[in-house]
Amino acid sequence: MMAAALGPPEVIAQLENAAKVLMAPPSMVNNEQRQHAEHIFLSFRKSKSPFAVCKHILETSKVDYVLFQAATAIMEAVVREWILLEKGSIESLRTFLLTYVLQRPNLQKYVREQILLAVAVIVKRGSLDKSIDCKSIFHEVSQLISSGNPTVQTLACSILTALLSEFSSSSKTSNIGLSMEFHGNCKRIFQEEDLRQIFMLTVEVLQEFSRRENLNAQMSSVFQRYLALANQVLSWNFLPPNLGRHYIAMFESSQNVMLKPTESWRETLLDSRVMELFFTVHRKIREDSDMAQDSLQCLAQLASLHGPIFPDEGSQVDYLAHFIEGLLNTINGIEIEDSEAVGISSIISNLITVFPRNVLTAIPNELFSSFVNCLTHLTCSFGRSAALEEVTANGVASREEEEISELQEDDRDQFSDQLASVGMLGRIAAEHCIPLLTSLLEERVTRLHGQLQRHQQQLLASPVSGTVDNKMLDDLYEDIHWLILVTGYLLADDTQGETPLIPPEIMEYSIKHSSEVDINTTLQILGSPGEKASSIPGYNRTDSVIRLLSAILRVSEVESRAIRADLTHLLSPQMGKDIVWFLKRWAKTYLLVDEKLYDQISLPFSTAFGADTEGSQWIIGYLLQKVISNLSVWSSEQDLASDTVQLLVTLVERRERANLVIQCENWWNLAKQFARRSPPLNFLSSPVQRTLMKALVLGGFAHMDTETKQQYWTEVLQPLQQRFLRVINQDNFQQMCQQEEVKQEITATLEALCGIAEATQIDNVAILFNFLMDFLTNCIGLMEVYKNTPETVNLIIEVFVEVAHKQICYLGESKAMNLYEACLTLLQVYSKNNLGRQRIDVTAEEEQYQDLLLIMELLTNLLSKEFIDFSDTDEVFRGHEPGQAANRSVSAADVVLYGVNLILPLMSQDLLKFPTLCNQYYKLITFICEIFPEKIPQLPEDLFKSLMYSLELGMTSMSSEVCQLCLEALTPLAEQCAKAQETDSPLFLATRHFLKLVFDMLVLQKHNTEMTTAAGEAFYTLVCLHQAEYSELVETLLSSQQDPVIYQRLADAFNKLTASSTPPTLDRKQKMAFLKSLEEFMANVGGLLCVK
Amino acid sequence: MEDEIDFTTGDAGAFGTNPMQCSALRTNGFVVLKGPPSKIVEMSTSKTGKHGHAKVHLVGIDIFMVKKYEDICPSTHKMDAPNIKRIDYQTGEVCEDLKLPEGELGKDIEGKYDCSHKALQINGIMRHEQTVQVWINCRSK
Repeated sequence: MMAAALGPPEVIAQLENAAKVLMAPPSMVNNEQRQHAEHIFLSFRKSKSPFAVCKHILETSKVDYVLFQAATAIMEAVVREWILLEKGSIESLRTFLLTYVLQRPNLQKYVREQILLAVAVIVKRGSLDKSIDCKSIFHEVSQLISSGNPTVQTLACSILTALLSEFSSSSKTSNIGLSMEFHGNCKRIFQEEDLRQIFMLTVEVLQEFSRRENLNAQMSSVFQRYLALANQVLSWNFLPPNLGRHYIAMFESSQNVMLKPTESWRETLLDSRVMELFFTVHRKIREDSDMAQDSLQCLAQLASLHGPIFPDEGSQVDYLAHFIEGLLNTINGIEIEDSEAVGISSIISNLITVFPRNVLTAIPNELFSSFVNCLTHLTCSFGRSAALEEVTANGVASREEEEISELQEDDRDQFSDQLASVGMLGRIAAEHCIPLLTSLLEERVTRLHGQLQRHQQQLLASPVSGTVDNKMLDDLYEDIHWLILVTGYLLADDTQGETPLIPPEIMEYSIKHSSEVDINTTLQILGSPGEKASSIPGYNRTDSVIRLLSAILRVSEVESRAIRADLTHLLSPQMGKDIVWFLKRWAKTYLLVDEKLYDQISLPFSTAFGADTEGSQWIIGYLLQKVISNLSVWSSEQDLASDTVQLLVTLVERRERANLVIQCENWWNLAKQFARRSPPLNFLSSPVQRTLMKALVLGGFAHMDTETKQQYWTEVLQPLQQRFLRVINQDNFQQMCQQEEVKQEITATLEALCGIAEATQIDNVAILFNFLMDFLTNCIGLMEVYKNTPETVNLIIEVFVEVAHKQICYLGESKAMNLYEACLTLLQVYSKNNLGRQRIDVTAEEEQYQDLLLIMELLTNLLSKEFIDFSDTDEVFRGHEPGQAANRSVSAADVVLYGVNLILPLMSQDLLKFPTLCNQYYKLITFICEIFPEKIPQLPEDLFKSLMYSLELGMTSMSSEVCQLCLEALTPLAEQCAKAQETDSPLFLATRHFLKLVFDMLVLQKHNTEMTTAAGEAFYTLVCLHQAEYSELVETLLSSQQDPVIYQRLADAFNKLTASSTPPTLDRKQKMAFLKSLEEFMANVGGLLCVK
Repeated sequence: MEDEIDFTTGDAGAFGTNPMQCSALRTNGFVVLKGPPSKIVEMSTSKTGKHGHAKVHLVGIDIFMVKKYEDICPSTHKMDAPNIKRIDYQTGEVCEDLKLPEGELGKDIEGKYDCSHKALQINGIMRHEQTVQVWINCRSK
């Protein structure tokens, strides 16, 4: 319109002025002027057939930005008016643009790229249009390349790069308003022919350059560009035959693509000259680290070649053998540059990942063994350089001086992958590795011992000059630290939820040598951690695995002795942590091994750590002593205390071990000491105290005679109760409740209750539940007393959360009801004290809403019984309480809905910005919708509305996890509506709205494949409920399609989608059929409606 | 509110400080940092070098002057924790001579002062009294 109203010179003047405004510094123009200028360009780009004006602009204007906009206008208009344009004029337009760029080598880069982008878009749009031939472009480009003129060759490279980006499936594609299916089809055609042609052209250029002796700077820059282009081709994400959803998902992200070309590439890529070329190129340019990155990346891509390109296994073996030969020739005899390390590693990693084992072993023997040797050599030397680099990067003295925050992950977690590999290798080569680790450890222990003794003497001689050189100690600690980690990973696995087994390699290794082993000496080595292993006669005839363990016990013993000698300040808490971490891992697997779990068992193992052996009793005593000493010496080192108490839990969580633990006098002392809440145990952090309580409770379920058991509980649990009751039953408790010692007492009790709940197991739940229930009632009273002390209120709720979390699944009907009642009362008191209350504090952080989070957690835990229920009508309680008439009628639903009434009004949108609150909230409301859909329509109107609003918000603007939860909530709600058959209820109306939302999500938006099932189920149920509205949605969508072919395809697809379920009913079989059709539907037309 | 103020008991024994191991301190608790008692608002630990011993970093806000204090000390060190006596008041009954804190909190209390049905919470610390927290209760609205 603008072009029609004004002549070309006026248009240019107007645009140039606007460009001036846009480019002006902010101080020179105001916002309004800027917006006006922007508007001028936008409407210019929308003008009809701007081709003549644009050509004129390109030829006459000197303003780069205007040139850029003209190129953009051409690109957009060509796509917009494609059908109306004559093919000849499109062709000439393309030629014009290309010539234009060729003739102006000094164009600004961004203008040139934009013009080439326009060319690429034209070629892409034309590639599906048989009436127009855009292929000539490759002919033109190859002519440019053969010109030998570096500038022209660079331009040719830019053209190819632009084409490649435009056709690739990544987000690089321009937004031209066509369907994903269009983009997919273009790509498929492109990758079969044009891409290969680009590759061939590139290979030719590279060949040419690799033959030349001396490259000047300009030529070498051209070389580099083509190498980068080759890399782009080899990193192409080849589109598999069937399109649809897969393609759309791929559009999102495609990183680290492995090379999987189609069959048509066979001749090109299996030609060994191609592979050789890239090795040659790398050898030539490897000193230029920028270029080397590209050449190595090309080789890494070639190393990942797989798929239909290989006609048979033989060709794969040939290719691999050839590749490895090339690789070895390149690597051997050269000094590898640091910059090459990553590239070479990824080449090898790709080879080993992609080529199957049987192919790898089918290459000639000699080649295979040189490859493995090379691999070993590289692993060692790269590992060493990486370690050195770390040291130099942080400065040599770093280990001693660097400030390490508590958030820094421990090495055992940070390097768990590497350690697991090292451990695995150690098991495979046990013969070599176990004795090696043992001797390294033993040697370091001896040195550590000597070093500490020297320090002690120094201190005794001159106690004042306390500054000792710690460098030597520090180095020893660092060595021992890693040796313990490696030993831990080698000897045992870290299992969760399953019984850890002794690794078979270790078992076999021990069995294999058991005939040479002297059992008594082995036991002696094990039982005398205070002595040097080599001082024991016959020490070489011991079981190596046990000797390795005893080496670590020796480290532990040196630590203990240093503590006794008042040298704690010289010790490394990190090493202390490593020791207990190792002992826990070891004890879980080896201590009191269950012989039934193994086909064969090593005699030394069963003699030393088997059931009913002196060895196991001794070692349990030793470990317990270590735990007790650590808890008092290291109470100020949180992590160490925490690892220590975990070791204690390991010792008592299995009945067999607990039976031995409780025979130690130390154990009883520990229990008594903890019950007294005296130093040093009361210095421990609250999580550690909780876990300690848990361990003490678990120990109480070990096998003992009734009298002993009675005595134990009298000493562990009863003091808790007595002290608590004494405090809260004082006459003036109300006045004293804020006194520090009273508060401390209350806090400690509540913490202990959490610990007790954590100790719940199926065989102790009856006792623990009854014990805890007494407290819960009293806790509710405390809620009232401490209503203005949020930290105490939170702790009280936390006790309920823990009890519900650990115990609800075991509770039978009447016990569960007791808990529901208690929870309901808790919520009522909370509600009474918080209604209308605003909290004013300077810092509004997430932790301020801890109470809300805890209540939601509590409600979720109560609901979880509907999913996980191990109770057998109070079977575990049988004998504890005679059948009690369950005539009270508090149900989980009552408690939860009461809680929801409380929570919903408080959950503002601001609060949903806190991720933990948000996730917990959605988890809760989804649970409620799934379990009590019938209660939803009964909610008060405003609560109902905010619940529905929350669901919509969750589906549209939260994380995909939350979205999934909301979709899962919809199905039961819709089913509820169908059951109720009320067509005017608010829920019914709400679900109609959700139908539209889910419809759009599935059909129109880029779809997250993880969500298909949840969305599909919700969709089907909603369709059943609102058939008329669904048909309407389909009609509206169809009527907006202009292309008759697409219209027909869509119409057919929609028909097919519901064919198996007409009329749709809430029948499981039909639903499954629908879900299957939906998959097909998405694959078939998903790409058609999703537009880019 | 049912909390009462007892003006008659001097209760001097409840004031003062007692030593606590650094690692046993908690956020939101109170500690004496370089003079005045402070509420701990931030607490973190670190160590010097991988094999170093833990140190505790404390950030506290002086409850009288609303001034920030920081300290770093080995986690085994003992620090003085003030004994706290906490009394809840309702605004209607707050005496005029009650010292309001400076800064935001003080203004907040002043701003809400004329509205009834509110409760103020006051902690008496080390023979001083200080308002540390305000609850507004608008239940009757």
